[in-house]
Amino acid sequence: MNKKADLSGTSTGYKIFSIVILIALAIFFIFPLYWIVTGSFKDAIAINAREPQWFPVAPILDNYIRLFSKPAFRWLANIVIIAVSAMALTCLTASLAGYALAKKRFIGRNILFTIIICAMALPKQVIVLPLLQEMNFLHLSDNLLAVILPTVGWPFGVFLMKQFSETIPTEILEAARVDGAGEVRTFFTVVFPMIKPGIGALAIFTFVNTWNDYFLQLVMLTSEENFTLPLGIAKLQGEMSSDFGLIMAGACLAALPIVAVFLAFQKYFTQGIAMGAVKG
Amino acid sequence: MKKFLALTLSATMALSLAACTGGNTGSTTSGSTTSSGSTTSSGTSSTSGTGTTLKLWSFNVGTLNEKANWDSLIAKFNETNPDIKVEVEIITYADGDTSLSSAIPAGSGPDILFEGPERLVGNYGRAGLMVDLSDLWAEGGADIAEGIKSVSQLDGKYYMYPLSVAAHCMAINYEVFEQAGALQYIDQETRTWTTDNFVKAMEAVRDSGLVATPGIVYCGAQGGDQGTRALVNNLYSDYFVNDDGTSYNANSANNVKALTLLDEMVGNGSLSANAGFAAAEELQAFANGTCAVTFCWNYSNYTQYAAQTQFTPYAVAFPSDDGQPELEMAGPYGFGIFDNGDDAKIEAAKKFVKFVCDDVTAGTEAVKYTGFFPVHADWGDIYADAEDADVRAPFAMMSNYLGRYYNLTGGWTEQRALWWNMLAEILVGGADPQTAADSYVEQVNANIA
Amino acid sequence: MAQATATVTQKPGGNKPKETSGMSRALVRRETISGYLFLLPSLIFFIGFVVVPMGICVVYSFLDYGMAGVEGFAGLDNYLRMLSDKTFHKGFINTVLIVVVAVPTVTAFSLWVSSAIYQMSSFTRSFFRCVFYLPVVTGTVAVTVVWKWMFNPYNGLLNQLTGNVGFDWLGNPNTAIWCIIMILFTTSIGQPIVLYVAALGNVDNSIIEAAQVDGATKLQVFWKIKWPAIMPTTLYILVITTINSFQCFALIQLLTSGGPFFSTTTIMYQIFDTVYKYNDFGYANAMGVVLAIIIAIFSAIQFKLAKTD
Repeated sequence: MNKKADLSGTSTGYKIFSIVILIALAIFFIFPLYWIVTGSFKDAIAINAREPQWFPVAPILDNYIRLFSKPAFRWLANIVIIAVSAMALTCLTASLAGYALAKKRFIGRNILFTIIICAMALPKQVIVLPLLQEMNFLHLSDNLLAVILPTVGWPFGVFLMKQFSETIPTEILEAARVDGAGEVRTFFTVVFPMIKPGIGALAIFTFVNTWNDYFLQLVMLTSEENFTLPLGIAKLQGEMSSDFGLIMAGACLAALPIVAVFLAFQKYFTQGIAMGAVKG
Repeated sequence: MKKFLALTLSATMALSLAACTGGNTGSTTSGSTTSSGSTTSSGTSSTSGTGTTLKLWSFNVGTLNEKANWDSLIAKFNETNPDIKVEVEIITYADGDTSLSSAIPAGSGPDILFEGPERLVGNYGRAGLMVDLSDLWAEGGADIAEGIKSVSQLDGKYYMYPLSVAAHCMAINYEVFEQAGALQYIDQETRTWTTDNFVKAMEAVRDSGLVATPGIVYCGAQGGDQGTRALVNNLYSDYFVNDDGTSYNANSANNVKALTLLDEMVGNGSLSANAGFAAAEELQAFANGTCAVTFCWNYSNYTQYAAQTQFTPYAVAFPSDDGQPELEMAGPYGFGIFDNGDDAKIEAAKKFVKFVCDDVTAGTEAVKYTGFFPVHADWGDIYADAEDADVRAPFAMMSNYLGRYYNLTGGWTEQRALWWNMLAEILVGGADPQTAADSYVEQVNANIA
Repeated sequence: MAQATATVTQKPGGNKPKETSGMSRALVRRETISGYLFLLPSLIFFIGFVVVPMGICVVYSFLDYGMAGVEGFAGLDNYLRMLSDKTFHKGFINTVLIVVVAVPTVTAFSLWVSSAIYQMSSFTRSFFRCVFYLPVVTGTVAVTVVWKWMFNPYNGLLNQLTGNVGFDWLGNPNTAIWCIIMILFTTSIGQPIVLYVAALGNVDNSIIEAAQVDGATKLQVFWKIKWPAIMPTTLYILVITTINSFQCFALIQLLTSGGPFFSTTTIMYQIFDTVYKYNDFGYANAMGVVLAIIIAIFSAIQFKLAKTD
């Protein structure tokens, strides 16, 4: 009856059971990626064959050659610029704002938080029309900033950092104040180290979500030199046919920076976990 | 911690870089964006001494999804009109509506759009956003077929000037039909077949066991609806809308008879119906030999799937009880010009459209990119010397069977969504054809006004 | 042990800032000024690029606004239209089904996975965390290409494995929405797992050890110590998953286009169709506002429940 909590100290049977389930699920989750990676080395006949070809019998580079015959590097650079900028700005603004929302007792705090939740609730598909009108007004349409700025404004990050900041013990903040630390110093020397795992998570999420926000890119970016990689590949599809090889090659290329960012920021969770243990 | 700060710092630097490059591209390439945006809102002319910049948005018709092909046409145009700059952006049928429906109301839409009458005339012409192109028709439209002319206009104003057209037909897997002994049911001379022979042929293919299913009636939304429409309408020679365009016609006696026949064929396995399939999936299934016929065929699809078809796709007309098919047009495709209140721009846009559609050299090249046939009868057979002339020939033959065009009937967009639903209800859900068709007609007629 | 749990359960409450009442005026002013200074960078973006367009959306919802431009003031017409719109009713039911199924399963499952992996070796933990995040990394378009192939009735993997050739998973009104929910599930659990692993790792070990010394069972440790400590994370995951499930759209567009028989048409999908296919901006914005209100109510309930827990 006490087996649901976690693995440590629980029965061996349960341990084996959960490892088996985890491995089965891992295969289930890895398979689409496997199919995409191998598919990117297959020709159209092999991809669409009636009998699935489990491994590319005659691997070809044609899909990648076709991809790079287009300005794929430019598109990749565009999306990297967008995602990295959005990530950096979001981490900075959201960690400050999240801390204030969680720990400051200021007038209008509850109203502001309600507005934030309502803003997240309003679907992007309707908000994008006035947003595009606004971008045209600011002469920013078809500019990478038209994707970056609304992404930074989107309050998911603030909400996440507020939740993370709530776990900071208030006594520590008060101790810092008694020691005579100013607000800014308190934030950078006391708060920032404690919410670092949160910032690591936020960095990954912002990067990946911005990267995958095809809809906003589609509406905001219209000229070929401003396309992002997913957008550029989508534009190469025929009216009644899909170039699956190109889609898969593009997905592989697009996944590389995401994996790099994931691995880079993953470290901070580990540090956070170690710190959590020391903290008490 | 230091590492983290360094990372953040470098990210911020990347951001400032982004701001720079973003700003640069914004000022150099989106000059037209800003100028068209401001003219739309203020309604004043922005013609400067340096010439005009036009924004052309093109749907991914044939190989016009390649920007390079447009650039070749524009280069030819600039030989005689160096002061008019045309910037092309490709939009796709998958999400072009998203781009258009957000950009147009926001004032950053195109000056010229390359598409068919459905959007140019039915949507944007009807909404009063387009320029009347009567002058282009008066100058160069004398040899364009009446059917195309009639769909380019609404209430006497011409909102589209056409470039190319084709007949929408079906295709069979020649080798499978041969081995199944089903070729005897097709008149290979005229590439037509009767409804009875269609039924027999599909049963022969089914009995041969050569394919997973003889044919798939795709009932999933998005595109290719002309194929299923033409199939239903031709089986017992009826039309999709009534003669004066005041009512949709799916519940007529002959159309219901056709739906019932299809339902029976699905029931006995000589056809399948898939609500999860759109036209593209059906074509894919045809191309890899899952099924032996496709209801969504034209030259453009032939070329798109040529690399993976390991058999002979053989174009035929839709089966008809009297053996006289009436095919829907695939397209016609042409240009529409948005009225942005800037006369100089409109004039420049007309020059460009006239050049691409009426100049024989440029026009022929453009038509070839679409994969279809010129609307100008005077141009004759532009593919006569083409390497693949023999592949083209059957598609040219299909043009003889072109029927009337009705994509401009009111409520067309709403109709399409409900058409799929009706097909699926009958062929997948087992609904009574008459009841389902009646309910469909009642719903779609409400939008005709 | 009783003592240990008491201090811990109190902690989240103790961490919350007290309300402004009972504070000196000078302190309130100082906190307000510093609070807004911290918020300022974020607010510039939030107000400029979210609140302003959001306000415009609300204005549009009261207009008769189509491709031809604003044709007049519609009053409450756009809102009243939803009452008699059968597609909207269907979409509402489908949306609620997705939310009611996806939110608890995603939350519970990601908590289970996280509890199972967070104490594993750093490599194994990273491996599983990466694996469950993969569907997000590969992007919706490519992932749906693979799923579409797996669900293909004639040569799809699923039917070949189950010997069920011909069954149209995405074309059957009884299965299509479950396929969508399943894929939504695979693309939704990555983020919660990352967060839960971090949150569980942050739970104060000394308290757990103290409780264990006092003879607390595993289950007691979980519910009395860990569960309250990860409550802010849980709340975030619940709210975000609820919003994402309500707004689930790209999967439906790419896999079923709302069909068959409108069985996968959600409010979100109908909003998209209304804007981009039918160009009825007024009505679409009204539906958007209603959807936002529904989501806000769900979120408010979650906040309430989390507080009383």
